[in-house]
This record gives sequence, structure tokens and C-alpha cells, in this order.
Amino acid sequence: MTTTIIWTIAIITLLGVVLAVVLYLVAEKFKVEEDPRIDEVEKVMPGANCGGCGFAGCRAFAQSCVEAMNLDNNFCPVGGNETMKKVAAVLGLEVKEKAPMVAVVRCNGTCSNRPRTNDYGGYSSCKVKSALYSGDTGCFYGCLGCGDCVAACQFGALSMDPETGLPVVDEEKCTACGACVKACPKRIIELRNKGPKNRRVFVSCVNMEKGAAARKACKAACIGCGKCEKACPFGAVKVEHNVAYIDFEKCRLCRKCVVECPTGAIHDVNFPAPAVKPAPKPAAPASAAASAAKPVAQPAAPAAPEVKVSAAEAGKKVEPEKKSEE
Amino acid sequence: MKTFSIGGVHPDDKKISAGSRIEVLPIPKTVYISMAQHLGGPAKAVVAPGDKVKTGQVIGEPTGFISAYVHSSVTGTVKSVGLRKDLAGIPVVHVEIETGPDEWADGIDTSDTLVTDIPQDRQFIIDRIKNNGVVGLGGATFPTHVKLCPPPDKKAECLILNGAECEPYLTSDYRIMLEKTSQIVVGAALMKKVLGVQRAVIGIEENKPEAISAMSAAVADLQKKSPDYSGIEVMTLKKKYPQGGEKQLIDAVMRRQVKSMGLPIDVGAVVQNVATSLAVYDAVQKNMPLISNTLTVTGDCLPADRQKNYLFRIGFPLSYIAEYNGGVPEGAVKIVSGGPMMGKAVSNFDAATLKGSSSILYLTAEQTERKPESNCIRCGKCAEACPMGLEPFLLNKLARNGMTEELEDNAVQDCIECGCCLYSCPANIPLLDVIRIAKGEVIRAIRARTAPKK
Repeated sequence: MTTTIIWTIAIITLLGVVLAVVLYLVAEKFKVEEDPRIDEVEKVMPGANCGGCGFAGCRAFAQSCVEAMNLDNNFCPVGGNETMKKVAAVLGLEVKEKAPMVAVVRCNGTCSNRPRTNDYGGYSSCKVKSALYSGDTGCFYGCLGCGDCVAACQFGALSMDPETGLPVVDEEKCTACGACVKACPKRIIELRNKGPKNRRVFVSCVNMEKGAAARKACKAACIGCGKCEKACPFGAVKVEHNVAYIDFEKCRLCRKCVVECPTGAIHDVNFPAPAVKPAPKPAAPASAAASAAKPVAQPAAPAAPEVKVSAAEAGKKVEPEKKSEE
Repeated sequence: MKTFSIGGVHPDDKKISAGSRIEVLPIPKTVYISMAQHLGGPAKAVVAPGDKVKTGQVIGEPTGFISAYVHSSVTGTVKSVGLRKDLAGIPVVHVEIETGPDEWADGIDTSDTLVTDIPQDRQFIIDRIKNNGVVGLGGATFPTHVKLCPPPDKKAECLILNGAECEPYLTSDYRIMLEKTSQIVVGAALMKKVLGVQRAVIGIEENKPEAISAMSAAVADLQKKSPDYSGIEVMTLKKKYPQGGEKQLIDAVMRRQVKSMGLPIDVGAVVQNVATSLAVYDAVQKNMPLISNTLTVTGDCLPADRQKNYLFRIGFPLSYIAEYNGGVPEGAVKIVSGGPMMGKAVSNFDAATLKGSSSILYLTAEQTERKPESNCIRCGKCAEACPMGLEPFLLNKLARNGMTEELEDNAVQDCIECGCCLYSCPANIPLLDVIRIAKGEVIRAIRARTAPKK
């Protein structure tokens, strides 16, 4: 009896030792060499796994950073410069600071600006809607309003404004991962420079139709008139295919284009309006002095609610200066 | 009685306008002729503003292998060539022509005499079909000459003429089968000649007995005249939607199944619509380009005396036809071009008619309103209804989760977008809407993968 037990223990022990050796040798033979820095880099990543950097997740991004010779092509939009500095410190590389970006919805087609021409009764998805037809307004290029971008945002930064029917970006929450840009079948959403003090100027329209047709579809459409292009002292505005585009690298936020725009398609956001607004010429070229205030107030209002009051004031200030101009 | 083997639904056929003879529409002041009236590359406009054009003159030339000629449907002056919105509101190049009294281009036989002699030169027939811009009028508007020239390694065995008209409401095919009977049979004989096949079957659903007897009589009559008409037969099919689907019709007639992503020619079949056959007759025997087609104006809310079948010329605005018919009826909330199952909703009523336009269908709120979507109860009705043997409930789930590879494994690319799943779903899930998008993505992925590498 005792011998059986001893033998059993001995055999099992021996078997254990042999298998342990085999496992060790196999592990040595097939060992995957992984740079320990990948783990370190991954630790400093935000861990959102959003894919905004273009990689499958934070680990894939970390691996790419470790393998790369420099960090020029790698940037984590969620973590921003802070995270990239940490990554650079871990790897002993240098990183160029990138200006923080934010998603911008380039459509002015609110319910009041852009009348509905038909009712859409189908499945509520921009993708489905855009595959079926041009949308329920006269504008073929504008926002379809089904909120695919809202569904795509992992950070809760987008929401649909029930009043305008357009998506609204929460600047605080937006990480510029670009998921909404990809989700939008009309390519309305763009990543733009957040700008100094979050101030930025952009053309809030992508309608490529000729002026009259664009205007007919939407009161606040870019009609491609080119006034902004002429007004810009820095050559930041280009009109191509009947629509203006402001290059945010060149834009110096002077806002000359904003006041020139006859339809209010150019938006300026987060400006302390009364102080900076150089609004003398807005309505001067076209309309009478009495109606001068109106065109200014209109464009400013949808862009940033906090500008509303001041814009009206600015409008009042306009008149004397305008006369001197003439 | 034959029909396809799996799936299908039985919507009420509502052929309200079946009794109305085809009327010829007068020509409006202005017509807008689209350059994208066919599958494949849009035609390139070859006229400029100010040009005088005659009826039947070429105004658009094909770009690429799968493309077709476009002809002027009227005589007049070209006002503009530019973008105009189609019925879905999407800008497409149109030629705008201010019309005058008809003056036909040279070489077109405008008489009514029936020409039954079949030309023996195969290439002559193909050239006529190609030069006269004939495209499939069953819905997809695929250029007919391409379909009639299968690749050399594939052999056609049977020509099938689709006279099923399985969509509810539509009666234009039915009317031409009654009024242009012999012409359709001659067209079939012409295509039979081109393909070199011995057999041609005209498939007609049982709910059109007059068409079946008229077609049978015309076939028998012509068979007495010439051996060119031997092998043509009329086959009565059981009424079931979507009988007119190419693959379904081949299944019903030949009992053969086209494999996944395959073409009908793989099983030796070529399917053409009866309206295409009529266009082939006109093109070959009369040298008449495809500039007109038959269109049904119908709907439950339309008074009985305004249920019509019209012969229109391409480029007439839909709104003009509706106006001629007496305006949009009260109670209509949705206008559909095509049948209620597969037709397209019209968002731009000023859009011009195309070669393939088949109807103006007025639907009431009750008929079109979508009920709120609820959860899938796994009843399997959609899978039972699917004529392609797919599982729409599964595809819906996969599509909503963006699982492209699994979608391909489950053959979403074989969906024919007939709408049977959506029609049968008791939970009102927008199955087709979701699946159609997924199908597009999967097909793009397959094409990208199989495309020849440069």
C-alpha cells in the first residue's frame, strides 16, 4: 500500500518536472519579443480606443509610436498635446505641438432657413436617407438631420437641436476623434482648429450649387459670390465650386469676411462680440440704412447665442461709421 | 402552373387601370432629356444650346462599354445643357429642348405596318438595337445590346420574356401585350435570332388571362407565317410577387437557380421585359430609337375615369403628365414612380420621365405611413418571404452592428431589394432599408477585392 502511494507521488512529480522543462523550452523557443515600451506608452494613453488616431485602438497606436522613428505621423486627438508629450517622454522622441481641433458642423439649414419640400417617412438614418434621395429640403448638400453623427460620437459631444434640426457640438466634450466626420454621408462635419480662446471663423455651408439655386434652397447658403475672398487680407478664403472655404491655417480671425457675407453663411464663434466686432460695413453696400442692422443680427444669432444681444448693438453702432464710409 | 420555388408574397394586385387603352400624350412646350437613363456610364451630350434637333436624332453618346445612346424625343431647339434634378432630387445632366412640330430624323419608319420578316444578319440586329439606344425596360434599364452579347465562353439556351408584371397597380406591360401583341412576338424572334437560341418563353401571370390568350394567338399566327417564330411559347405563371425578378423568373420557367453573384447567362438564360421586346421591334424593324414608353397613372385615391395608361416620350416632366391627367388627386400624400413594392418615391415632381419610367402612382397616407418599429420576435416571416432564401432578421442585426464580413458570409449581396421582408414583418422593422445599405457596402468591398490589380 505504502509503496503504491510512494510510486504514485514519484511518478507524478517526475512527470511534472519533465513537462515543466518542456514548457520552459517551448516558451523560450517561441517567445514573442515585445518592446516593453509599448506597455509604458499604452499606460499614458487615454484608453478611449476610439480609433480617432487611425489605429485599431490605444495599444495599436502605442505599438506604432514605438516602431516609428519620429512622432510626426502619430497623434492622439483625444489626449491631445498633453498625452503626446508624455508619449514622447517615454520614447525619448520629440513631438511637434498640434493645435487642438474641434468638430464643426458646416450647415446653416435650420428649419427657418431651409424650408422642407417633402416629408421623409422612412428609416431614420442619414445613411439610408442619403442613399434614397437628396433629402427633405431643396438642398442636396445639407444636413439630413437624422443624427448619424450623434450616434457615432463616443464622447457624448454631439446632440441634435430640436429647434434647428441640426447637430450641435459640445466643444468641451469634443475630442476631435473624427468619428462624426466619417459618419456623415454628406461630409458636412469637418475637423478645424479650435483656435485661440476657442475663437474661430468658418463657412457654415457646403452647397456647391450656383448662387440662385443655393439661395432658393436655403436662405443662409453660401452663394459663392466671392465677397469674402476679396475681403480677406490674408488670402485664407477660397471660393471653389460655388462655395467658399476658409483655410484655418491662414485665417487670422479678423472677421472681415463675416461682415461681408450677404447671406450670413460665415460664422464666427466665441468672440466677445461688442469689443472686437468691426462691423461697420456689413450691410452698407446693398441695403438702406434702416435695414442695416438686420443682416448683421441674423448671421450672428445662429452661430453663437451669446453674441445675440451684442450683435444688435453692433448693428446700431454701424450706421454713423457706414455713412462716413460712403 | 409554374412559379418560383422559395419565398414570395401575395400583395393585392389592384390593377385598377387595366381596362384603359393606351392614350398618346400631346407634346409639352419644353422637355428635359436626362443623360443618365440607363445603368452604367451616363451618356455624353453631343448637342449645344441653340442647336436644332429632329425627333429621333442622337443627342447623347455612350461613354464606355455599359452605356447607351440617348435620342431626342421631340423636334425643336436646344435651350440648355446642364444639371437638373431627377426625381430623387439628385442633379443629373439634362438637355432642355423647346419643342416644335414633329419632324422625324432620316431613316425612321413611322408607319404602323407590322414588319414580320426577321433580318438574317445577326450583327445588323445588334447594331440597330445599340444605335437606337434600347435598354431593359423592366426596371434596371441595363443596355440591351450588352445583355444580348454574352461572353463567348457562355452559351444562351433560352430567352425568357418577362410579362409577369408582378408589381401591384402597374398595367403598362399588360396594355402593350394587348395592343402591341404581334410587335412583342416579333421582338422576341429578333432577340432569339441574335442569341441563336431555339427556345423563347413568354412568362405571363395568371391574373392576365386576356394577355395570355392574345399573346398565344399572336404566336400561333406568326408561327404559321415563318419558321423564324418556331420555339416561342407562352407560359402561364402562378401569381406571386416577385415573379418578375430575373432569377425568380428563370427558376419558374427553367427550374434552374443562378448561383450567388452569378448572372442569368451562367444557367443559359437571358431575360428581357416585354416592353424591351417592343422597343427591340421598333429599333430593328422600324429603325425607331427608344424615345417613348408606356406609363400608368393610377392609385386608389384617383377617380376611376382618370386611371390611365399613356404613351409618353422621354423627357416629359412628371408634373406635366399629372397635370394633363387632371392634377394630383385629393388624398394623395406620396407619389411613386414604379410599383409600390420597388418603385421610387418622387421628391421632385418636376423631374423628367426616363426610358424606364413605368408609372405615376398616388398613395394615400394610410398606405404609406410607417408604423413604429418594435422588437424582432424571431417569427421568421421575413425568412419565409425572402425569394432569395436569405435571413433578413439576421442581416438586419449584422448590418446594424456593422459586421461586414458576417454579412458577406450570409449572402447579403444576393438581396434583390424586392421588399418582401419589409412587407411581411409584423414588427415593422425597416429590414430592407438597413439591408440595402449593407448590401451596397459588401458589394463595394467584394469589387475592391476582386478588381484587377494595376
